[in-house]
Amino acid sequence: MTRTELPFRLAGVIAVVALAALPLLGNAYLVTFAFTVLIAYILAQSWDWVAGEMGYVNLGHYVFYGVGAYAFSIALVAQYPTAFALLAAVGVTAVVAVLIGFPMFRLRGDYFAFGTLALLPLAEVLAYNLTPITNGADGIVLPVQNVQTISYLLALGVCVVAFLMTVWINRIRFGYALKSVRNDEEVAEVIGVRILPVKIKVLTLSAAFAALAGAIQSWQMSYIDPATVFGLNVALVPVAMVLFGGSGLRWGPFVGVLALAGMQQWLLVNVKVLQTTIYGAIILLIGRFMPGGILRSSWVRGSRWLGALGRDHHEYIVDKRGADPRVAATLPLPRLTVDRRQPLLECRSVRMAFGGNVAVNNVNLKIMQGEIVGLIGPNGCGKTTLFNCISKVFEPTAGEIHFAGRNLRELRRDEIAQLGVGRTYQIPRPFSDLTVQENIAVPLMYHDASLTPRQALEQARDFVAYAQLTPRLTARADSLSLQEKKALEFARALACKPKLLLVDEVASGLTPAEVTRFVDHIRHVRDDYGVTVIWVEHIFSALAQVVDRVVVLEQGALIADGALHDVVKDERVLRTYLGSAAAGVV
Amino acid sequence: MRMLRKILTIAAAGSCLAAFAGDAAAKLGSCNEPIVFGTTISETGPFSTLADRWRGMTEIFAEEVNRSGGVQVKACNKKVPIKFVIYDDQSVPAAAVSLYEKMATVDNVDFFVGPDWSSLGGPVPPIAEKHKIPIVMGNVATPSIYDRGFKYVWGTPYPVVPRWSERYFDMLSKMNPKPTSIFFITHDNPVTKGITGVWSKKAEAQGLKIVGSETFSQELKDFTALIAKVRAAKPDVVYISSFDGPSVPLVQQMRSLKVRAMDVHHVMLTGSLYRQVGKDIEGMTGELSWYPGIKGPYSDLVETVMQRSNISMFDYIWTLGRLSSYLVMVQAIEKAGAVDREKVREALYKGTFKAPAGDIVFDERGFPNNGAFTVQMVGGKVSVVWPPEVATGKVVWPSPSWK
Amino acid sequence: MNVEVFVQVLIGGLLLGGLYALVAFGLSLIYGVVRILNFAHGTLLAVTGVAASLIFASWQLHPVLIALLLMPPVFAGGYVFYMALLHPLNRRNHFESTVGTVLVTVGALLILSDLTAKLAGATPKNIPLRFAAIEIGEIVVSTTQLGILCGIAVLTVAMHLFLKRSWFGRAIRAVTQDEVGAQLCGVQSTRLKALTCAFGSATVTIAAVLYVLSFPVDPYMGFGLTVKAFTIIILGGIGNLPGALLAGAFLGVAEGMTGLLWKPEWAPALSVILMLLILVALPQGFARKSA
Repeated sequence: MTRTELPFRLAGVIAVVALAALPLLGNAYLVTFAFTVLIAYILAQSWDWVAGEMGYVNLGHYVFYGVGAYAFSIALVAQYPTAFALLAAVGVTAVVAVLIGFPMFRLRGDYFAFGTLALLPLAEVLAYNLTPITNGADGIVLPVQNVQTISYLLALGVCVVAFLMTVWINRIRFGYALKSVRNDEEVAEVIGVRILPVKIKVLTLSAAFAALAGAIQSWQMSYIDPATVFGLNVALVPVAMVLFGGSGLRWGPFVGVLALAGMQQWLLVNVKVLQTTIYGAIILLIGRFMPGGILRSSWVRGSRWLGALGRDHHEYIVDKRGADPRVAATLPLPRLTVDRRQPLLECRSVRMAFGGNVAVNNVNLKIMQGEIVGLIGPNGCGKTTLFNCISKVFEPTAGEIHFAGRNLRELRRDEIAQLGVGRTYQIPRPFSDLTVQENIAVPLMYHDASLTPRQALEQARDFVAYAQLTPRLTARADSLSLQEKKALEFARALACKPKLLLVDEVASGLTPAEVTRFVDHIRHVRDDYGVTVIWVEHIFSALAQVVDRVVVLEQGALIADGALHDVVKDERVLRTYLGSAAAGVV
Repeated sequence: MRMLRKILTIAAAGSCLAAFAGDAAAKLGSCNEPIVFGTTISETGPFSTLADRWRGMTEIFAEEVNRSGGVQVKACNKKVPIKFVIYDDQSVPAAAVSLYEKMATVDNVDFFVGPDWSSLGGPVPPIAEKHKIPIVMGNVATPSIYDRGFKYVWGTPYPVVPRWSERYFDMLSKMNPKPTSIFFITHDNPVTKGITGVWSKKAEAQGLKIVGSETFSQELKDFTALIAKVRAAKPDVVYISSFDGPSVPLVQQMRSLKVRAMDVHHVMLTGSLYRQVGKDIEGMTGELSWYPGIKGPYSDLVETVMQRSNISMFDYIWTLGRLSSYLVMVQAIEKAGAVDREKVREALYKGTFKAPAGDIVFDERGFPNNGAFTVQMVGGKVSVVWPPEVATGKVVWPSPSWK
Repeated sequence: MNVEVFVQVLIGGLLLGGLYALVAFGLSLIYGVVRILNFAHGTLLAVTGVAASLIFASWQLHPVLIALLLMPPVFAGGYVFYMALLHPLNRRNHFESTVGTVLVTVGALLILSDLTAKLAGATPKNIPLRFAAIEIGEIVVSTTQLGILCGIAVLTVAMHLFLKRSWFGRAIRAVTQDEVGAQLCGVQSTRLKALTCAFGSATVTIAAVLYVLSFPVDPYMGFGLTVKAFTIIILGGIGNLPGALLAGAFLGVAEGMTGLLWKPEWAPALSVILMLLILVALPQGFARKSA
């Protein structure tokens, strides 16, 4: 525990104890208000796991609240004990979450937001019409019990659990799965994260907590009807609260809920007219001037105490040791045994067509273990598409790809990564809002399940040093220059501990010295660690230094395969790619 | 700038806390302080469409009552003025709950009146019960809400579902040519569904054959399919059990699709409906709890209040429910003879209270017996047509505009 | 059930669907170009509708005049709204600009509905104009309905031609596909986006007047309409106006048919159920659309 954390933890414990003692202090109004804040917090925090952590804005979050409220109420009215009713609420809602998740997660980005939003009026209609179950428009009248104190304490308990859950999620690998999905789903899969279960799990978790909020609040209110729990007029409130405070931060939902709920109550009690206008204006102004939320604004960041509230999750687990200036000569990669006579990758008649456009045409290719093969050809000849077929970004239309003896057909992208295929992208695709260190740590975590994030972040330092990015260790990936991003891309691919490394035009845009460094790296990983490399490149001087042979593609078809100095004299290659002027040069 | 922001933050935090501090507690039962009625009104949010200008109406009510000194309290040997504490519940139950708690514990009101609507009438009574503060709710019509064994809870929905169309069906039994079939169109809402539930049974008992019953949801805009069914059934009476707003497209489309019947009856025929459908409303019958020109106890007070607050009884039918809750509470205090919650509770229990349209009698659950008069729109004007003793106009049967 | 009833329901459904589609048009346009989730869109319709009905109540102007009267201020409002509140968010990173637009539009929704309720009252309003009805056998079509249907059709064709033929329309489509490329071709994308926002809002005005001729509006119903519009955009495709019209018409007719063949109370759920079914059945149809 660092020095700055101790006062916060103490303050947190004191706050929870104080809140728990609130009912004893007698002011029922304060308790009621605090109760609504607690419920709002549960809703807000559970929403943020899906939105802030994973980047999916679920505007139908209230559906889970409502389903939980109804399930609880129905169970309670049917004379089941309260504890059972709460379990029923969570159980039913979790099932609903799974059922909703599968179709909904087919949508991305804004479409997901639209789609989930539409679920709310659907739920309302269902509640109105499924009268035998939900009692329709009459609503459900719960037996009146004086549960104010116990529901309050229960809500407080759930809040504490929700908060601890947030802390825990961000300490384990799951949190990084969420964050990698948030940044770039395809890349997350390619480095070994299996994303659909991650999405469903986080949605179910989020739903469970929302269901508890709905159950506890309806217990306290002793009456629910469809409009109360599914009404559109309350649907956006938890969303606004989280965004107000700072989505994706540990204290964001808490600060947002406290601020907006407090403001709302103050307006309700003290302002006679246009309270909603004022409330709306505040939200609007925050959106305009502090869209990252209060905790990300410059004035909070500047303050010492408030600024600590605004720390990103990774700042809680990263060791703040200063950057180690040593350059590691060895990477924590396994030294693979290499048999040059065994093929590592075999493409048999691979064909990839997009509608009428054939991008890869009947390619037969064998890559031996330990080779460095250059893959060249004019732009648009299918080099990147071939890479995409190997790493399963696309499923080939025909043909087979065998890797280390296994047929890759029907394997998922993350399974390919686990088998040992790593790749870089032509235009670097780092996880933009993660730091350089985190970018490397994610594949490390997914190739060795025994590593905790903290350990993975430690190990990542070696890779970062190898890529000579140590001064930028804790910088956000999107703040890097192009060359730095390419270095990061390469290091991240290495962190996948690959047997086969697919390098896609890593040298373009670099200075000659930088190019030489990459060439050295590629040679190094093959010589010292036995990694096989396929390198797509246009810069011949780079290829010439290190490749064993070169394969030429043209319009999706393989037209030449051999040593570099032979291939460049090949007539077809000259005609289609190098140009006749090159004939005399090489 | 940063200093300014710091100051603003601290000020905001401070005022948040101050919001929870109370006013100096009004001493309950004191003869020298005004009697405080605590209430919330849905001034914003979806229910505000039903509660137009009620804050002003409430304050004017207090003014008018206080004009003569206030409420006669025997124990104080004088008239004590009344005062309202009014908050906006924003149509959100959780907000209403916290506001009633505040009024009970921080503002220290003497009695509760309101709220309205079942969504709020569900969660709020337990608070009154807990603090033992008598509450006379307004337009809370769902009977099951009164079945919870509360001792401090009453309500004055106007009219109550079991008596809603009593006079109308009485009228039907005496009309010539006699209607023999009836089609129910119901808005999906507990009140209106309750009305249909009760009155479809009574219609059958009266010898009317139910040739159709359809329910529509709040947002339905295209009634073509439903109207097709009505036309196919060819009923003598079309009974629309709906709030005025959602039924506007229904009425308009019934007109344009030339629905024919001896009568089209709307359980909430209001001025608001009239304004929106215009001439389409001609010939329709409806229910009204009270109307200008009715003479009964407190009718002067009610008329003055409505006139001053610029509300027409025909416009928004919920106002009488609201006002009645105030009238009942005032009378209960007079009957109790003291500003004492327990005495007022006893006075309210199974009590009978005066109101312009007839006595309000509570049963042991706190549920009243309010009825309504049958009205008809003729020539753009609304007149009471049944019962004949109080009618201001003659009923036109069958309705010519729907023939 | 006979043919005439079927046709009657069809006509009603087309009318309703056409109105839904109109609501979706403006949203589709704005979203396609400016890429903002505008939660206040439906509320803008509700507010303009309230204004239209008030104008009618006071001065009895012809609906076309009312629309023409309301369009310029709404147009200007849309432009200013974009420039003052939304454009500055573009400079921020993707996450913050998305969050910012959500907060800004939600705030605008709250402000608009509350101010309208305060100034004009919260009770529902409409324009109670009734024109003669035309009877063909058992089928009755009111000329109001016909007029509205014509209005919708004309508007759709006009907007479609505008987008396809005019420079502005082509610029909009260019910016939708590749903003930087369009800028390099001389499109002032900032001004274009602001104009699109303005234009989309003005479309809402026409939709509002047509809507309010058929159904009542109150300040709080906007969000429900926004949700419907979003659903139509998903079904019909972003920026695809004919697609939105088809999707809207399909939806309106489907809702009517549900009422006829089954029960009216399920009709509003239909759009969402359809959307969910399509998502489960045709995932590829939407996978390529990553926003």
